[in-house]
Amino acid sequence: MASVKATGAELGGGVKRRNIPVLEVSGAEGEKQTILVPEVDYKKQEKPKQQSGIDIEAWTAPIVFTFLAFFTRMYKIGQSDIVTWDEAHFGKFGSYYLKREFYFDVHPPLGKMLVGLSGYLAGYNGSFEFKSGEHYPEEVNYTFMRIFNAAFGALCVPLAYYTSKQLKFSKATTWLVTLMVLCENSYATISRFILLDSMLLFFTFTTMLCYSKFHNLQNKSFSAEWWTWIVLTGLSIGCVTSVKWVGLFVTALVGLYTVEDLWNKFGDYKMPKATYAMHWVARIFGLILIPAAVYLASFYAHFTILNRSGPGDAQMSSLFQANLKGTDLTDSPLEVAIGSKVTIKNMGYGGGLLHSHVQTYPEGSGQQQVTCYHHKDSNNDWFFHPIRKERQYDPQEEVRFIGDKSVIRLLHAQTGRNLHTHSVAAPITKKHNEVSTYGNATVGDDKDNWVIEVMDDAISRDYSKLRTLTTAFRLRNQVLGCYLRAGNVNLPQWGFKQIEVTCTKENKPRDTFTHWNIESHINRLLPKADRKAFRSPFFRDFIHLNVAMMTSNNALVPDPDKQDDLASQWWQWPILHVGLRMCSWDDNVIKYFLLGNPIVYWGSTASLIIFTLMLGWYAIRWQRGYPDLTQRDIDHILYSGLYPFIGWFAHYLPFVAMARVTYVHHYYPALYFAILTAGFCVDWATRKLPRPVYYGVFGAVYALVIGVFVLFIPISFGMPGSNQQYAYLKWFDGWRISN
Amino acid sequence: MSGESSQLGVRQRTGGGATRKRSKSPAVSTSHNTDNETHAKIAKQKGTGTGPYKQPSEKGYRVALALVTIVAFITRFWKINHPDQVVFDEVHFGKFASYYLQGTYFFDVHPPFGKLLFAFMGWLVGYDGHFLFDNIGDSYIDNKVPYVAFRAMPALLSTLTVPVVYLTMWESGYSLPACLTAAGLILFDNGQIGQTRLILLDSTLIFSMACSILCYIRFYKQRHNAFGRKWWKWLLLTGVSLSCVISTKYVGVFTFVTIGAAVAIDLWNMLDYRRGLSLQQFGMHFAARAFGLIVIPFFFYLFWFQVHFTVLYRSGPGDDFMTPEFQETLADNAMAEKSVEVFYNDKVTLRHKDTKAYLHSHLDRYPLRYDDGRISSQGQQVTGYPFNDTNNHWIIVPSQPFPDSVQRPVNNNDAVKLLHVVTNTYLLSHDVASPYHPTNQEFTTVSKEDADGPRYNETLFEVRIEGKRKQGLRTMSSLFKFVHHPSKVAMWTHTKPLPDWGYKQQEINGNKNLQQKSNIWFIESIIDIDPEDKRLSKEPKKIKTLPFFKKYFELQRAMFHHNNALTSSHPYASQPIQWPFLMRGVSFWTKNDTREQIYFLGNVAGWWIASSILAVFAGIVGADQLTQRRGIDALDSRTRSRLYNSTGFFWLAWAAHYFPFFLMGRQLFLHHYLPAHLASALVTGALVEFVFGVEAEEEEVVMAGQERKKERKWVPRACSESTLGSWIACATIIGIVVASFVFYAPLTYGSPGLSVEGVLRRKWLGYDLHFAK
Repeated sequence: MASVKATGAELGGGVKRRNIPVLEVSGAEGEKQTILVPEVDYKKQEKPKQQSGIDIEAWTAPIVFTFLAFFTRMYKIGQSDIVTWDEAHFGKFGSYYLKREFYFDVHPPLGKMLVGLSGYLAGYNGSFEFKSGEHYPEEVNYTFMRIFNAAFGALCVPLAYYTSKQLKFSKATTWLVTLMVLCENSYATISRFILLDSMLLFFTFTTMLCYSKFHNLQNKSFSAEWWTWIVLTGLSIGCVTSVKWVGLFVTALVGLYTVEDLWNKFGDYKMPKATYAMHWVARIFGLILIPAAVYLASFYAHFTILNRSGPGDAQMSSLFQANLKGTDLTDSPLEVAIGSKVTIKNMGYGGGLLHSHVQTYPEGSGQQQVTCYHHKDSNNDWFFHPIRKERQYDPQEEVRFIGDKSVIRLLHAQTGRNLHTHSVAAPITKKHNEVSTYGNATVGDDKDNWVIEVMDDAISRDYSKLRTLTTAFRLRNQVLGCYLRAGNVNLPQWGFKQIEVTCTKENKPRDTFTHWNIESHINRLLPKADRKAFRSPFFRDFIHLNVAMMTSNNALVPDPDKQDDLASQWWQWPILHVGLRMCSWDDNVIKYFLLGNPIVYWGSTASLIIFTLMLGWYAIRWQRGYPDLTQRDIDHILYSGLYPFIGWFAHYLPFVAMARVTYVHHYYPALYFAILTAGFCVDWATRKLPRPVYYGVFGAVYALVIGVFVLFIPISFGMPGSNQQYAYLKWFDGWRISN
Repeated sequence: MSGESSQLGVRQRTGGGATRKRSKSPAVSTSHNTDNETHAKIAKQKGTGTGPYKQPSEKGYRVALALVTIVAFITRFWKINHPDQVVFDEVHFGKFASYYLQGTYFFDVHPPFGKLLFAFMGWLVGYDGHFLFDNIGDSYIDNKVPYVAFRAMPALLSTLTVPVVYLTMWESGYSLPACLTAAGLILFDNGQIGQTRLILLDSTLIFSMACSILCYIRFYKQRHNAFGRKWWKWLLLTGVSLSCVISTKYVGVFTFVTIGAAVAIDLWNMLDYRRGLSLQQFGMHFAARAFGLIVIPFFFYLFWFQVHFTVLYRSGPGDDFMTPEFQETLADNAMAEKSVEVFYNDKVTLRHKDTKAYLHSHLDRYPLRYDDGRISSQGQQVTGYPFNDTNNHWIIVPSQPFPDSVQRPVNNNDAVKLLHVVTNTYLLSHDVASPYHPTNQEFTTVSKEDADGPRYNETLFEVRIEGKRKQGLRTMSSLFKFVHHPSKVAMWTHTKPLPDWGYKQQEINGNKNLQQKSNIWFIESIIDIDPEDKRLSKEPKKIKTLPFFKKYFELQRAMFHHNNALTSSHPYASQPIQWPFLMRGVSFWTKNDTREQIYFLGNVAGWWIASSILAVFAGIVGADQLTQRRGIDALDSRTRSRLYNSTGFFWLAWAAHYFPFFLMGRQLFLHHYLPAHLASALVTGALVEFVFGVEAEEEEVVMAGQERKKERKWVPRACSESTLGSWIACATIIGIVVASFVFYAPLTYGSPGLSVEGVLRRKWLGYDLHFAK
């Protein structure tokens, strides 16, 4: 109670300032009186209520709830021995960690590493392919892996309990919120499988708990407890964003709170400037640096564990690939010299190897084609040769290294022709010059001369030498001044759908499609490079991978040609319009249906509307001068009602705007915030009820939530046999529990 | 945007120290602050007075007003007859005017008001609408089009925009140099001129938008005279202006947002109990505004649609966008005239509504293997073919035979079979993947034996007629989905041509998604119908009528649908982020022999000045918020009130007309920024006064504030003295702007032609001008 009281006073520094002057301006002394009176009353009412019986309930209730949570999440968890729904993805990704093979996915690695960990603990060797709908083999202890996941889901229940305590809900409301999480069929169902959602929910819940706790400690700034909770908030944020990027939405909520908090403190004249600065420092450390460190650490672990070549190689730079075990890129000499045989890779996103073949352009110059090609092939090999004015290459000569500003010719190894460009429009990108191979070692002109411009080098600042894998360079034609470029434009069938290579007159140093690097390099005269020379800087890989993730994420747009029965639309979620069949609906399969508890869904959605009306109501009353609310009430509405409400929007609206395919489970984090808002509304509405009515109301609501959960429990625990047995649960057509 | 201003609402409440009176003017300030005692007198005079603010130098204002209007007229009408060819989007809007004059129904994504104005202009000069503005560069002289009259209409509105801007500033109580700066930025803007002296809608849009702002300010100034005659007059005029904006283009919604936000803040402050309004009174205020600013504009908006439907009484190129019911209301409509009831055993052609391809089949078969390795049934090909051919002929066969002598109509939901006449085979679909779509079923044909025997079921198709009137199937007017009876897939086609084995004809396949709009087919004609047939000898059909609202909702839906579909790329499209910096223009017109070109571009200097001032405003407000939070008051209440309520309103107008474009997926052009540019000119004028009109005493106040002295005092700003600073700033800005205007004028007016050097000198930000070589 003491802390509660003090919080109100402390905050008053910021918010009261907003209120009191108004009253003074109005000059109505009488009104000031009336405002203060209810505040006193309120305190008198609250005190005894909060102090009595706190000990027993505070210990027993969380234990009972946690026990029930573990039961609802784990009962019959191993019953279905087939790979269910997205277990096919996340189980497979977990396997890659056990096999240590590099893979690529749109989600950050933490959640999948935890899946990998669960497999490791279960003694699984990563050999199973996790094909959708297949039976788990004997050696895979999938039950343990599922239990590991379910533990995260179960722990959400006590977290919800403590969070509602921190939001200062009454005991009865705290129970209600906890029950709504406990008896939420969709949470119970999705936590039972090897998926990321239970972890995402868990860390969302911890973030919400830590930041509410941190908020309540704000009168004890810089105490050890305060520091503990700010650091815990930071860790939670770091974890939630490292599981799925959806975690950024709860991060935004905490960010909003922090901005408001700092703005309030900014208006507190009494606070010394040094203290204020310290508040900034603490938040930058706790809420920015720590989460960033966690996020980076998860990627660092990701790169460290996955040290073998695997299916995700192609997404990364050639330098990164060189560091994976099982690739052949590392036998090359480091520095490139005249006479080296090389392959040259485009560094743009999805770039291929510079390629030429005997086929000619059907139009334009009619000379030999130059393309970019993704497959390894001897037509990708090129020789570095000196330009014609210089001494010609002699295999016996002393080594002549190539570096920035070197002028060279590139000879195609298979056909002996020179890389060449001229003022002929390229076949597709007509604005650019066509690039061809032309002539031979003796026949040719100055348009065969290319100037190397080193753009960057991953391991050195010394640009005087061109290094295998690490150097990014551009090739500028000496005569025309244009840059060799391969955008992602495919040639027609005559070019075998390979990528068009052009020479662009625009000098855009940041256009990575004009950047190239040496991928493989053969030169007998030079020593093999030290393996360590090809170390790929962590930050570069980190950024590269994140950009690749973002690009693929944006590419997950609905395909109009593809029938996707599982996808759903944002407007369907809050009203529980649809559910999702998680597996085949065959009679001899244990069937799971992803559907929420209708009471929780509809109740929480209704509470969002009620809360909006309530805000409007009090705002208008306030503007009309009715002293309904004390400063404490306003703070309570703000921190326990408005912030969860905003949290719901933060987790919901992005999916409205998003163009990608969306599924019902995208709503689950938002649902938690709706549940908290529902808790607030119930709490607010019932706080002045007479005792018998109060208990009656809560009793009825508890019974309803639990009753409907129990009614729908088959969809969570699994439905064996014919789906017609469960037809009684098909309340609406969208709930396709039975055919 | 509204967040910004609602914060202002709160700010007024929070910021007040004990010494400062609360400001109550929420959104738009006038030259005075009514709560400020020193100005109360003027306010009173103002509330009841007529016309603009009476200041000692009012004559100066009037002279300047006349001057800018005259110059605006000259800049807008200069060489208006040049070029005498169709320029850029005149292709569209000129054509629409012709359609109106001819009364032929057309379809466009914009509401009718702006286009009706052009038609009105054409009607005034007696033009009959014979020319259809088909290509950019078509000669007006050769085609005898009164194009100068057409162009005079937008040019006139554009001319009037300048005095409206000037009056807006004047009404808001800004000094003469501030008014002139704002008006000058519009007056000498190559963009505002270039876009508005051609047959385009933007002139109407910008003029109405400027009028809305002006009317609202006039309305707001009448607030002490609530429900008086003038109060009503300006309220209704605001509503009418708003209606004109939205009836011209849908971006007019942004003007509604601007005015709506101001009204919401105003109402919110009225709700304050210290204003002494009872809830009934407040309700009246609320209702009056809702009536004047929502109901009236909406009815006015509907009115233009009524005009639209009335004028366009004949069938025309827009028919295809509408439902058959709608088309039957148009005169000369093929559907209404030629529609014939279809009977069983008629020989017919089926046509796909979207791609206009006929259902076709020929003897060639599907290849056994496709390129991707999938296997076909090797059945006879069924394709979509856009040209007339006997292979397009099919006979509708009943599912159960009946005597030939009976003539039975084909009804909705009947199961029918289709017999391909030339190859004597029956249409069939089965569970084999189509050539391009593994998820869709293949369509093929089978022999009569199979069709009557083992594969009977697979040859059955249901005719599902669209729309409300579902009586018998008719040619042309009945649109239907052709659904395969056993598997419930709809016959569908798309534009991607088949490979060479299918002669580049269209793929026909079975689409599982029955709801898709592109599943729709119709029967085009009955082949070899007996000329004696009773069905042909009916009396000519009467033109039907539909209730207005039915027509309106149908058209409105189609407009939104097609507006969203405008996503194709255009070589001169640009991104919203480029607009304030004027990174790129649009090439409107070129003429090779004279090296003349029209390149639509704003006034580079003017736009950069206006855009930087917008940032300065945001900076000033941010700094003020921060200092106030620390209890430092650098501004006197009147200046702050002006800064937030008046300049802030202009800034809000800019933001509301600019930022929403970032959310739009459709193709965007520089001219979409013009309404926002107008608002930015208002902000510029206002800030010129704020920055340069500051007097010496005020500097001291700032100093005092920085030293955090407890006692703060405000030196009210004198109204008219010492405006020298503003005059210098105004003259400098106008000077630069005029120079830039003259420099770019050849590109705006399309004359004279420029030498290579001249073109190159004008490629300041790398504009893609023509004739640079």
